[in-house]
Amino acid sequence: MTQDDATTGSAPPARTAAVAPRSVIRSMIWATVPALLLVQLLASAGIEVSSFLSQMRQLDARIARAAESRAHLIAEPLWKLRYAQVTNVLGEILHDEAISAAIVYDDTGAVVARVPAQSATSGTAVVSRPIDYSNGNITVQAGRIAIAYSYGAIYAETGKALARLFVAGLLATLVTLLAMRISANAFIGKPLAAMMSAIQRSKRDGRAYQADISSTNEFGQLAQAFNAMQHTTSDALEQLRHLAWHDPLTGLPNRRSLTERLAILGRTARTHDALISFCFIDLDDFKGINDTFGHDAGDRFLVHIAGVLRGAVDENDWVARLGGDEFVVIRPDVADEQAAHAFAARLLEAISEPIRLHDKQVVPRASIGLAVRRADDPELSHLPALADIALYHAKSKAPGTIAVLNEELQRDYRRRRELELAIPAGFAACEFEVWYQSQVDLDTSEVIGLEALIRWRHPDLGVISPAEFLPLIERSGNASRLTNYVLTDACHALNRLAAAGRPEIRIAINLPPSELADQSFADHMQETCDRLGVAPSSLELEITEGSLINNIASASETLRRLRAMGATIALDDFGTGYSSLAHLRRFPLDKVKIDKAFISDIPDSAEDKAIVGVIASLAGTLDLTLVAEGIERAEQAQAMTEMSVRYGQGYFYQRPQPLDAVLKLLADGRAVAGGTSRVLAVSPSLVPELWVPEPAE
Amino acid sequence: MSRLLSVLIAAGLACGLLASSGGAMAGSAELKVVFVNPGKTGEVYWDMVSGTMKAAGRKLNMNVEVLVAERNFRTMQELGLSVVARADKPDFLILSNEESAAVPVLEAAEAAGIKTLFLSNTLIGADAARLGPPRAKLKMWLGDITTDLQTAGTRMANALIDAARSEKWQSPDGRIHILGIGGDEITPASIARNAGLDLAVAAAPDVVVDRMLFANWTQSEAEQVTANYLGWAVRKGIRPAGVWAGNDPMALGAIKAAVAAGLEPGKDLQIVGLNWSEDALREIKAGRMLLTDGGHFLLGGWSMVLLRDYADGCDFGAVSPHVQVKTSAITRDNLASVDTLIKTRAFDQINFARFRAKAGACGQYDFSIAALIASMSPNGVRASNE
Repeated sequence: MTQDDATTGSAPPARTAAVAPRSVIRSMIWATVPALLLVQLLASAGIEVSSFLSQMRQLDARIARAAESRAHLIAEPLWKLRYAQVTNVLGEILHDEAISAAIVYDDTGAVVARVPAQSATSGTAVVSRPIDYSNGNITVQAGRIAIAYSYGAIYAETGKALARLFVAGLLATLVTLLAMRISANAFIGKPLAAMMSAIQRSKRDGRAYQADISSTNEFGQLAQAFNAMQHTTSDALEQLRHLAWHDPLTGLPNRRSLTERLAILGRTARTHDALISFCFIDLDDFKGINDTFGHDAGDRFLVHIAGVLRGAVDENDWVARLGGDEFVVIRPDVADEQAAHAFAARLLEAISEPIRLHDKQVVPRASIGLAVRRADDPELSHLPALADIALYHAKSKAPGTIAVLNEELQRDYRRRRELELAIPAGFAACEFEVWYQSQVDLDTSEVIGLEALIRWRHPDLGVISPAEFLPLIERSGNASRLTNYVLTDACHALNRLAAAGRPEIRIAINLPPSELADQSFADHMQETCDRLGVAPSSLELEITEGSLINNIASASETLRRLRAMGATIALDDFGTGYSSLAHLRRFPLDKVKIDKAFISDIPDSAEDKAIVGVIASLAGTLDLTLVAEGIERAEQAQAMTEMSVRYGQGYFYQRPQPLDAVLKLLADGRAVAGGTSRVLAVSPSLVPELWVPEPAE
Repeated sequence: MSRLLSVLIAAGLACGLLASSGGAMAGSAELKVVFVNPGKTGEVYWDMVSGTMKAAGRKLNMNVEVLVAERNFRTMQELGLSVVARADKPDFLILSNEESAAVPVLEAAEAAGIKTLFLSNTLIGADAARLGPPRAKLKMWLGDITTDLQTAGTRMANALIDAARSEKWQSPDGRIHILGIGGDEITPASIARNAGLDLAVAAAPDVVVDRMLFANWTQSEAEQVTANYLGWAVRKGIRPAGVWAGNDPMALGAIKAAVAAGLEPGKDLQIVGLNWSEDALREIKAGRMLLTDGGHFLLGGWSMVLLRDYADGCDFGAVSPHVQVKTSAITRDNLASVDTLIKTRAFDQINFARFRAKAGACGQYDFSIAALIASMSPNGVRASNE
């Protein structure tokens, strides 16, 4: 792998480093050397040509002089008819290599002498001069001399000179080329290659290497600048690297570091059976901190926690922030699970040290999912997921505590995973069923509405409790789908009710927090109602206080629009959560449903009766309709009536049933008639209502 | 032995002849004469000069010693100086100042008190100016005997011109074209002849010397230049009328060239020479040569006549220390008279004593060809041949 990296990683840079500077030098050479050669050749050829012409002129002049001097020498022997002497004197002229032949004519034009004897005037040029003889008495033209000469020697000489010049030019060019290559390599290629090499190594290693150049010329300066840049880059890279591996807020290693850490955890362990303790820490209600004190304070809070964790661990321990309010602490070597638990407990204790935010004392709280594994465990890299299972348990079951991963938790986790994965198939196979439970006028026992309740009939696991699968639906992003599913079913049910002559009966559906926050839900409901021919006023939407608080602004808007459409808004499970009186006033509510927790001990519990009484009184004042949930006995119904609670819901009247069963009951005319005519549903004992975490019973 | 005998016989004969003609020579002492001959052995002219000199010596009781310089002036000077340095000095030294090479010998002889006569070539130019006339500065320098070669040249030219005129050998331009061939351009002997040619031509406006060429006295060169001239003349459209040659060998060369050119000398053109050479005489006889002037080889004999008279008290200087002898032409007309003399070189036929100056007329001599012919006696020849 490393070898592979080295070869495949370094080969392209080496090639680039070798090719790129050479091509620059080659371009330089291609640009300059031919021009140099051309200029050199042209210049030398020009000089040679001018020399050639000058030599030709000189030769012409020389031959003319030779002709004149020969004429002078020959005049007397010619005049005196000493032709042999004439020939001798003429013959001397052949010492001049340029002269190919010479002829002397006498005054009759006859050839008197000719050298060489058999010559033809083959020369390229001929000079002719008169031969004047004169003595004391006479001056006569005794004849003419003609000299044929050739420029061949000059041509040859010039040719040789040109060849020499050409060779010299080539040599000079070659030397120049070599010198350019060597100097360009030394002064340009090497620095460039050094810089390229530094760049390639930097690319490969992600570190900023310096180019090793000591010269002080422009390239030296460039290299210095480059090195300075590399230095800067090095810092930046260091910063980037740190950023890549660390959380910028707290400076702790980040999730990526964790992955890395997990990869080496097994290798760096003291022994292969050393126990590694993995603490997955999640701050409880960090959102509340952010909402209450603002994000700056939230950040400070996180930094504080990071500092606390750092202070609480040994140097062999490892702390990371995975993002948000999640932290991880790894202790690579613990004696046993108890020691790991004790360590986690110390962490919780350290975290819970109060701090001041905006002059207010805050006590941080956190939950810890703890997983302990041997160093040679093949699932070491899954530690975060395993710890997360434990953390999930802690968060959902007992926030602010430590949950240790065990078989049961893992089993739960696996079941959750299994269910979660089965949700899409569940939808596809119509495994989800909507059952209906009656809401009754306590005075008349008349059914005034139905609450739609979702059921999952899993082919293998049987009927799954909504308490178990609804959080999974929510978490897997299927809440909207489920809501639409229920809404559509409810609309069909309304149509059937209308067809059965009971159009006055409304159907309530539970609206999950995510849908309440989604402003498009109102449009969607309108569209569904229109499509199925149902008046929105026949629909009642049940919401929880929790969903209101999390999304106050958007929730208000959604509620306002739903109400404008004519739908009724009911606040579910009132009394168990915030039970804020302000909420009752602030939000556009029509109905409040008193949680069954207050009903179950009535009429025995005086306190519950008092609370319900107060709620009823308040509702009356605020003009809110009250519904009591979980009425299972006639006394309870009686007590509610006495406390002016008008409507009720519960097994006393009807267990949730499929629509057909409900319609049948309604058709029988006495759906509910106190305890005597009560219809017992066939559904299992677990009949929770929507979005209530606890089982209904 | 036979040589000694013949000398004695000749001396006896001479005494007999002289006694009959006046006896001025009777009882005269024998004179010792040394002649430094500048020429080569076998060179006709200088051999003949020596020959006549010796023949005259025999007639005039003069012992003639001839030293041959073989055409080497250094040798000539060495020979002359060795004679001057002799203990037994001659009475007279005869030098020929060819190329002015004899001047040092002349001065040495002056110092040694040897009487000197120049033959054929005398002092010229700067030497003449420096040393002055004979018997002035140089007391021992008696004078010179030379030939009048200028007149010879003129006579030759005139003979040529006359022949051409009579044959009407004018060229298309109406003029008579002749070729002159000189021996050289520097020796007085050549200059004089050439001047004679110039003189004659200057007096004849219908004559033109196409070329005055110099052939170094040699036949071959003359033949060459003549051939060239004849070829040139043909190309030039000239009808060559004759060749004037400064000596016979050159004339003979001209004849050969003319023959080679398809001309017939004597009929198509005339050729004249100088020297009385045997070959020239043969050519004259054959009609291929118009004449040969000359006879100046007799200067050898004539010099003996002068010195005999001088020694006997009849000084030729009475007229002039410069004795100039006229030459004569041998034509077909007078060829027969001298033909044998020249062919056989039987100079003993000549009675040189006859040419001595008459008493009271010292310095006056008749060296004409007529006098020569008259002086020759067949007996004398016979006697000498015995």
